[in-house]
Amino acid sequence: MPGTLRFAAKAGTNNMNTSNQDPTDGVLGSLLRESRPAPGLPPRFQENVWQRIEHKGQPAPASNWLEAFAALVLKPRFALAAVCALVLVGVTLGSLDGRSHARHDAQERYLAAVVAPVH
Amino acid sequence: MRKPAVILTFALVLGLALFAGAFYCARTYCVQHTANPADDLEWLRMEFQLGDAELARIRELHDGYLPKCGDNCANIAAKKRELAEATAAGTNTVARLDQLRAEVVVLRGHCQEEMLAHFEEVSRAMPSEQGQRYLAEMKRLTLGSHEQVEQSMSGTNGHAHDHH
Repeated sequence: MPGTLRFAAKAGTNNMNTSNQDPTDGVLGSLLRESRPAPGLPPRFQENVWQRIEHKGQPAPASNWLEAFAALVLKPRFALAAVCALVLVGVTLGSLDGRSHARHDAQERYLAAVVAPVH
Repeated sequence: MRKPAVILTFALVLGLALFAGAFYCARTYCVQHTANPADDLEWLRMEFQLGDAELARIRELHDGYLPKCGDNCANIAAKKRELAEATAAGTNTVARLDQLRAEVVVLRGHCQEEMLAHFEEVSRAMPSEQGQRYLAEMKRLTLGSHEQVEQSMSGTNGHAHDHH
């Protein structure tokens, strides 16, 4: 099969070469171009094409907030900051709660000692 | 499940575990190291920022008060037991039961007097401002519930019984 394809391609090329060399085809071509005039390119066409090519190279922007947030979570700087904040808040709240609990226990012990339980 | 959802769920679980771990460790450490569980007076030291000298003086008062408090408690308990036995026997007169109830009330009143006297004595052993705060707090903690009931029954705080 590849041999057949190669042969066909070669034959096509030969035909094109022979047709290009035919002067009547040049006249026909110019007549066709005149009958169907091509519209002009929009302004800054080339620049826009290059911009689109450049954008294709960049990672695609997050399509929704879930993906955007997941992308943010995966950033090491954000993850580290979140871990530090969570540990800090946990330690602070735990300390406050622990102190309050210890104080309450101590108060209960004092009251149990000085206030008679049979009352 | 989509990949962002998996990532966020994992991050949420990890975050919660981190927060809970930090909270629990800090809380346990503070509970164990903030107060001395063997000392009944630890609350006074913590709450009223007492120095060693003040605490030593208060400890003397406290140790002196505890036997009196114990005796009062024992007397009240004995009198209540006597009243319960007399009521259960059914052979005692109403006058006898009333007398026993009155004796319980007298013992409780005496106990309360001694308790308040002790609180005042302790408050005087503290710096003035802390002493006043201590006295107010102890009255609130020991007599507060009775006063609330009395106020609600007498209607002095706007919760009087409606008699239609």
